[in-house]
Amino acid sequence: MKRTLGYLTLPLLMAAAFTTQARADGETIAVFTKNQTNPFFQTVRVGADNMAKTLNAKTLQYIPTKPDSIPEQLSQIEDVVVKKPSAIVFTPVDYKAMVPGVEKINEAKIPVVNITDRSAGGKFLSFVGADDYSLGLETARFLLKTLGGKGNIVIIEGVKGSLTNVDRVRGFNDALKENAGAKLLASQPGNYQRLQALQVMENLMQSNSQIDGVLAANDAMAVGAIEALDGANRKAQVIGINGTKEAIDAIKSGKLLASGDYNGFAQGCLGTMMAIRALRNQPVIAEIVLKPTVITKDNYQPFDVPLEQRTCPTFEDASKLGAK
Amino acid sequence: MTDITKETIMPPRSFLSQDAIQVFYRLLAALLICAVLAVLSDSFLSLGNILNVLRQASLTFFIASGLTLVVLTAGLDLSVGANVALSACIAGTVIHKTGSPALGILTGLACGGIVGLLNGVMVTALRIPSFIATYGMLWVLNGLTYWYMAGETLHGFPAGFRQIGSGYLFGLPIPVYLLLVFLGIGTFFAQRTIWGQEIYAIGANPVAARLSGIPVARRLLLVYTVSGIMAGLASIIFLSRLNSAEADIGESLTLPAIAAVLIGGTSLFGGVGTVFGTFIGALILTLVLNGMNLLSVSANWQPLVTGIIVILAVWLDMKTRRRAQ
Repeated sequence: MKRTLGYLTLPLLMAAAFTTQARADGETIAVFTKNQTNPFFQTVRVGADNMAKTLNAKTLQYIPTKPDSIPEQLSQIEDVVVKKPSAIVFTPVDYKAMVPGVEKINEAKIPVVNITDRSAGGKFLSFVGADDYSLGLETARFLLKTLGGKGNIVIIEGVKGSLTNVDRVRGFNDALKENAGAKLLASQPGNYQRLQALQVMENLMQSNSQIDGVLAANDAMAVGAIEALDGANRKAQVIGINGTKEAIDAIKSGKLLASGDYNGFAQGCLGTMMAIRALRNQPVIAEIVLKPTVITKDNYQPFDVPLEQRTCPTFEDASKLGAK
Repeated sequence: MTDITKETIMPPRSFLSQDAIQVFYRLLAALLICAVLAVLSDSFLSLGNILNVLRQASLTFFIASGLTLVVLTAGLDLSVGANVALSACIAGTVIHKTGSPALGILTGLACGGIVGLLNGVMVTALRIPSFIATYGMLWVLNGLTYWYMAGETLHGFPAGFRQIGSGYLFGLPIPVYLLLVFLGIGTFFAQRTIWGQEIYAIGANPVAARLSGIPVARRLLLVYTVSGIMAGLASIIFLSRLNSAEADIGESLTLPAIAAVLIGGTSLFGGVGTVFGTFIGALILTLVLNGMNLLSVSANWQPLVTGIIVILAVWLDMKTRRRAQ
C-alpha cells in the first residue's frame, strides 16, 4: 500500500515541479488588434493565444470597442503602460497616427513586437506581417491567368486612404498592367462593406454588359459582388482577400475563384513567439514577411480547419516562412 | 377629453399643406438629379437600373421611415443601425438553428421592437434625452453583437427566405413592393390617424400637447418601438438580400438613414416633415451613389460629392421653408 502510494507520488511531485516551473514562465503578453469586427483579427488573436499557451505565457487582449479607433487605442496604450505587461504584440489601428503611442511604449521600456501593419515609427523587437501589395498583385495575377490574360475587369476598393486598400489596389492595378488584353472598366469604393459592394456591383452591371472578372479588396465585398451577379443571373470570376471561413466555403462551392491570405493565425503565433523569446533571451528574427497564399479550390484544405484546431508554426518554420 | 376637442385643436393635416410644398421641392430635386444622370449616362434610364435604384433605396427607407416618426417628435434614434446588426445576427442564428425562416423573421422583428421599446422607456420613464439614450444603446448593442458573433460571420440561408430580399414578383423586386406598402402605411398613419396627428403635435410643442390631453409618454413609447420594429424589418431584408450577417453592418446604415430623414425635409426640431419626404430623401442618396457608379466617378470623390449633396439639400430646405413662412 505504502509502496503504491510512493509510485503515485513520484509522478505527482514531478508534475508539481513542472507546473511550478511553468508558473515561473508565466509572462503576460498584451496583444493589440484593430477591431472585433474583421474576422482576420480573430485569427490573429487565436494564433497569439495558441502560442502563449504552448510557451506557458498568457495574453491580455486589447481591442478598441469602436473599430479602428485611434483615440481608443491611444488610451489603451496609456492603460497598458501603467499595467506593465511583460511584452506587447502590437497592431496599430493607423500606421502613422499611432507612432506617438508606440513611443510611449518605448519610453516605458516595455518590449514590443509589431505585427500586421508596419508602424511608421517607434522601436520594435521584430516585425511580423505580410505585404498587402503582393497580396493584391498575386490574387489579381491568378484571376488574369484564369481568364487567359484578357477580359473586362472591375475593382471594388476598400476604405479609401487606408493602408491596406492603397497597397492592395496598387497590386491589382500592376497585375492588370502586365496583361495587355485586360481592360479596367471601373474602380469603385465598397468601403469593405458587403452591402455597399453588392450595390456597386448592381450599378456597374447596368452600364457594363460584359464583366469577366471582379477584384475585391476583401472577402465580404467579394461575396457581396457574387450576390449581385447571382441576382442578375450573370457570371464573372471573383476574387477576395483575407481567407475568411465564408470565402473558403464559397471557394469550395465554386462561387469564388480565390481569396488571398496572409495568414493572420501565423502572424499572431509568430508575433507572440518573438516577444516571449526576447523575454527569455533567445534569438529572435527581426523581420518576417509572410508570403501571400492564393487560396483556390486546389489548396483550400488546410484553411478549412477550425481556428482552434490549427497549430502554430515553429521557430524553424518561421525562418522558412519569410524571414529577412 | 373628447375627440371633438382634439379635432378643434388639431384639424387633420391636409396633404396640400406646407409639408406638401416641401415634398414637391424634394421631388423636383430628385427629378433634376435624374435628368442630369439621364443625359450623362445611357444606362441610367434603363428599366433594370430604375429597379436597382428603388431596391437599393428601400433598405435605407425601411430604417428611415420609423426614424422619421422619432424625429417628428423632436427626438433622434442613433441606435437604428446597431439594432439592424444585432437583429440580423440573432434572426440569422434562429434560422440556422431551427431551419424556420418564419421563426427567424418573427425573432428579428421582436428583437428590433424590444430594443426600440427600451429606447422609448429611457426617453420617457427615465427622461434621458433621446440623443444620449440611443447613443448609449448603440454601444450596448455593438457590444452585445461583437461578443455574440466573436468575429465570425453567418451565411447561407434557405432559398425561399432569400426571395424576400432578392426575389421578383411580376418583374418587380419584392423589396420594392414592401417599400410601397410601408410608404403607404407610414403616410396614412402620420397624416390620417389621430395618433399620427398627436405625434406631430408632440414634436411641435410638447407642453401644449400634454395640456391638450395627449398621452405623450405612451405616444413616444410607440414611436421608438415602431422605429425599432422597422430596424428589425430592415435586418430581415438585409439577411435575405446579402445571404449573410456580420457584426459590423450597422455602422454604414445609421447615418444614411438619418440623412434620408433630413434630406426628406423632416426637421430635427420636430413637428415638421413627412414619411413621403423621407422616401425621396432615401431616393436622392441612392441616386447620387448610383450615378457616380455608372459614371465611374473616382473613389476619391464619392464621399465628397455625397457630403455636398446632403449639405445642399438641407440648406435648400431651410431656404424654401423660410420663404414659405
